Amino acid sequence: MSNSVISVISRFLEEYTTKTSNKLKVVDAYLFYILLTGALQFLYCLLVGTFPFNSFLAGFILCVGAFILGVCLRIQINPDNKGDFLSISQERAFADFLLAHTVLHLVVINFIG
Amino acid sequence: MAQPRVFCLVLLTVALGAQALTPSHHLSLSDVDRLKGLLSQPFTDLASAYYSIVGLSKLGASVADENDACQFLKAQLDPMSVDSLFFAAEASQAIADCEVSIFNETRDILLAAVSEDSTVTQIFRAVSALSSLGLPLASQEVVAALVARIAKEDNVLAITTALQTATRLSQQAELGGILEEIEDLAARLDDLGGVYLQFEEGLEATALFVTAAYTLSDHADTEPPLKEDQVIQLVNSVFSKKSWDSRSEAFSVACAAAALSSNRFHVPVIVSTQGPATVSHSQPILHLLVTDILSNPLASANLLVESAQAVASKSVVLSQAPFSLRNGIFELNFMASQPASGYYQFTVAVTGDSRLVANQVELKVKVSTEVAVTNMDLSVVDKDQSIGTKTSRVDYPFKAKGSFTADSHQNFAMNFQLVDANTGVELTPHQTFVRFHNQKTGQEVVFVAEPDSKNLYKFELDTAERKSEFDSMSGTYVLHLIVGDATLENPILWNVADVVLKFLDEEAPAAIQSKTLYMPKPDIQHLFREPEKKPPTVVSNTFTALVLSPFLLLLILWFKLGANISNFSLSPSSVLFHVGHACMLGLMYVYWTHLNMFQTLKYLAIIGSLTFLAGNRMLAQKAVKRYGQSSTLTFFTRSTCEN
Repeated sequence: MSNSVISVISRFLEEYTTKTSNKLKVVDAYLFYILLTGALQFLYCLLVGTFPFNSFLAGFILCVGAFILGVCLRIQINPDNKGDFLSISQERAFADFLLAHTVLHLVVINFIG
Repeated sequence: MAQPRVFCLVLLTVALGAQALTPSHHLSLSDVDRLKGLLSQPFTDLASAYYSIVGLSKLGASVADENDACQFLKAQLDPMSVDSLFFAAEASQAIADCEVSIFNETRDILLAAVSEDSTVTQIFRAVSALSSLGLPLASQEVVAALVARIAKEDNVLAITTALQTATRLSQQAELGGILEEIEDLAARLDDLGGVYLQFEEGLEATALFVTAAYTLSDHADTEPPLKEDQVIQLVNSVFSKKSWDSRSEAFSVACAAAALSSNRFHVPVIVSTQGPATVSHSQPILHLLVTDILSNPLASANLLVESAQAVASKSVVLSQAPFSLRNGIFELNFMASQPASGYYQFTVAVTGDSRLVANQVELKVKVSTEVAVTNMDLSVVDKDQSIGTKTSRVDYPFKAKGSFTADSHQNFAMNFQLVDANTGVELTPHQTFVRFHNQKTGQEVVFVAEPDSKNLYKFELDTAERKSEFDSMSGTYVLHLIVGDATLENPILWNVADVVLKFLDEEAPAAIQSKTLYMPKPDIQHLFREPEKKPPTVVSNTFTALVLSPFLLLLILWFKLGANISNFSLSPSSVLFHVGHACMLGLMYVYWTHLNMFQTLKYLAIIGSLTFLAGNRMLAQKAVKRYGQSSTLTFFTRSTCEN
């Protein structure tokens, strides 16, 4: 059983490093960073307590929101998905990404206290 | 004959509706004296002399020095003025042996004033002067002039003066038209709450109207068209004021009083009690005074009790019983009908004169009595009734010999009866209290003793049940019985016995409730909301560094992947875009520290629109370049830090 899991994982990693373009890997690195940041915030909350609860929520929701927007950007600029996003060019996807981020930041800063 | 009389209000009864109104105000003897006093003040001119002299004569009195007054009148007279002649003539009529000299021109002057062109007041004064001086005048002409003037001067005072003028004319003259004015004028009176009827012009106008109406009615021998209720309301209005502002007002009240007490048609009668309306065994006789509004006793009047009804039981105790007259006071021995103590509603009627108005009066009479406490038995009863009760009889006003002890197993009981000392009838007074007073601690506990169906009073103290009222303080309590009622002449405060009460779980003798009740209470310190416990700074600093560390990881990863900004074109739009974007992020920080949402939105709108335009341009250029280079992939610049 563990054998097949290991083989699946190694196969996945191999495919990933060879098949994905650099552009997408850059976005993936960004997503990984967001993930780590969110996880660390959550860990702090678990360990120390929720004292400024609104601050914790703000930070955590920012990480979650940024991750989601990042994922959307990745989907939209992936050339394999070009058929699904005929009307949306890469620049347009990036502009949407920036606009959504502006709104997210506004809300989060309002909430952070 | 002059007896001191106390001013007493007669009660108005409006409950049954069918009852007639009775006067609520009249002039008591002291009021009459005050009125005379005001009129007796020294006078300085003819008008005030007239008011004083004539006013006092209406009240049956006279000025201090008549000769002096007469000389004054003669000296002040101006034979050319109608007013002067009027005042002097009228005043001199009121003084015996005082004649004002007249000249030949006097008559002409006075007659000239009687015409349609003079005011009603002028006509009145001229006519009065003529008749007082004994000079002839043509009544019919006067009537004609008056009728003409009334049509022109349609106010209350003018018509009242016209009525007064008509009283001086001969009875053969055509006074019918003027008599009708009384009714028209009466219709102009204002009804205030069904109690007062007066002109809006005030007290003087109302009083003068009353005088004029009755004087004219007497003169013309026709009953005035005023209903009984209206007469009483007029009486209330005119005599409600007991101190008068001016001599003329006092004069008008004096004239009205004289008119109402001695005219031929309506004489309002006042029935009042001498002192409080109370009878008892020691004072069995009810005294009533029957007077007119000047507090003069009525010559021919008989007083009759139509019915006397007990207020509580509504049973009629007396009916159709006459009062006997003794020394001007009507007396009735009410106790002879042996009424029980309480309140009685009397309806009395004054007869003997057909002119009497408001001659049915309602009075409330109190019959009071003395109470006696009988059969006072004190006992200590065991709760489970196992031991026989120990009862001792105590007689008023003595105190029980021994003291009574009751602890939590026993009840202390008290039985007694309250009877009328004179008739032996059982009574249930308003207040029957049993008071326990602890001499040492000053505690006082009061209970109510209630009668049972046989009017036997019982009081039982359950020591266990009532210990909270006593604060569980054991000790000797002095027992008092308190009996009181409005109809009792001898309220009772009787120290009956000493009672020793023993309570279980006696608390430590704390300071008595009452002592600490009025002392300042302990201060309440306000507790502010405790701030939440914060983790130590070390921990939070550590985690801050930890959370920021993935950024380094990101930079390393990007470096490893080979992300670069080599494709960064220094076109103005891209520079502007990046600057604008950086400004937006800076605005976020400033928003966190300084601004509110509205200000932020304002700045964001400005910076955002610039950034958008620049970004749009930049991205379009990028797109064009990308489509131009079909094979090369372009990296987006990642120089913007999001977090």
